[in-house]
Amino acid sequence: MSKVRRLVLDVLKPLEPTIIELAEQLSGLPGVEAVNISIYEIDRRVENAKITIEGDDLNYSEVERIIQENGGTIHSVDEVVAGKIIIDDSATPQDPYQG
Amino acid sequence: MSPLQRLANHIQRLREYGDLANIGEIARRYMAMNAFDGVLTIIGVLMGSYSAHVYDSSTIIVTGLSTSIAMGISGLWGAYLTESAERKRDLAELESYTLTDLSQTKIGQASRAAVVIVALVDGFAPFLAALIVLLPFFFTALWVDVTISYYLSLGLALVFLFTLGAFLGRVSQESLIVSGAKMIGAGLMAILASYLLRGADP
Repeated sequence: MSKVRRLVLDVLKPLEPTIIELAEQLSGLPGVEAVNISIYEIDRRVENAKITIEGDDLNYSEVERIIQENGGTIHSVDEVVAGKIIIDDSATPQDPYQG
Repeated sequence: MSPLQRLANHIQRLREYGDLANIGEIARRYMAMNAFDGVLTIIGVLMGSYSAHVYDSSTIIVTGLSTSIAMGISGLWGAYLTESAERKRDLAELESYTLTDLSQTKIGQASRAAVVIVALVDGFAPFLAALIVLLPFFFTALWVDVTISYYLSLGLALVFLFTLGAFLGRVSQESLIVSGAKMIGAGLMAILASYLLRGADP
């Protein structure tokens, strides 16, 4: 079976544990090479985080478990890359004008 | 997994819970507050016994220990109930934001661990503080005169209060001497109040 190499998740999580701790735990999972967590919205007790994980064999269930253990909820899986290499989405004429 | 590794894991998890639920700061506050309560209560017991001309060590030990145990139970029970109520409310508030059940997450586990640890600290602090102050009465046989035990106990209580004050001074990064002296002031006031009460006794 093909291997998942990149996951981009939209997560709602409590302010504590911090994204530093969450990133450390996620990057400790087998098959994970790098983790990027950026906050795009912050509230009084919770924050919205975009979590990007790359590696040679990502296990979604394990990623989900770590996020839930830390009180987070995955709102959506915004991007998945699977296969032998990592590719980005191709540009199409329907894409909004980026100029 | 070796027992040593398991212990290291437990310590690591406790440390994690400590950070998450802010256990250290709350436990420190309870510890200082209740050890202070314990020492002042025992000063009251000792001064009362002295005023009532109780010169039997075992009577003082039994009275003191009963008081210490009651304070311990009061601390344990009181802190468990209040802390548990506060933590549940806090978790419920957080759950209203995340719209998920957080009881099985690290946050929920840390919250439950905090209740137990804080309750234990709250119970043992006054009990142990009172027990330390009572110690000289266990050794009355060595110096025969129970009055010496009274003086030693009150002296020990003041030293304990000073140490507690110095500890709080270190926490607040103030002068240890000034902070310790403030605590001793409370002890001296308790001794003086009991002494005046004795004078009022017909």
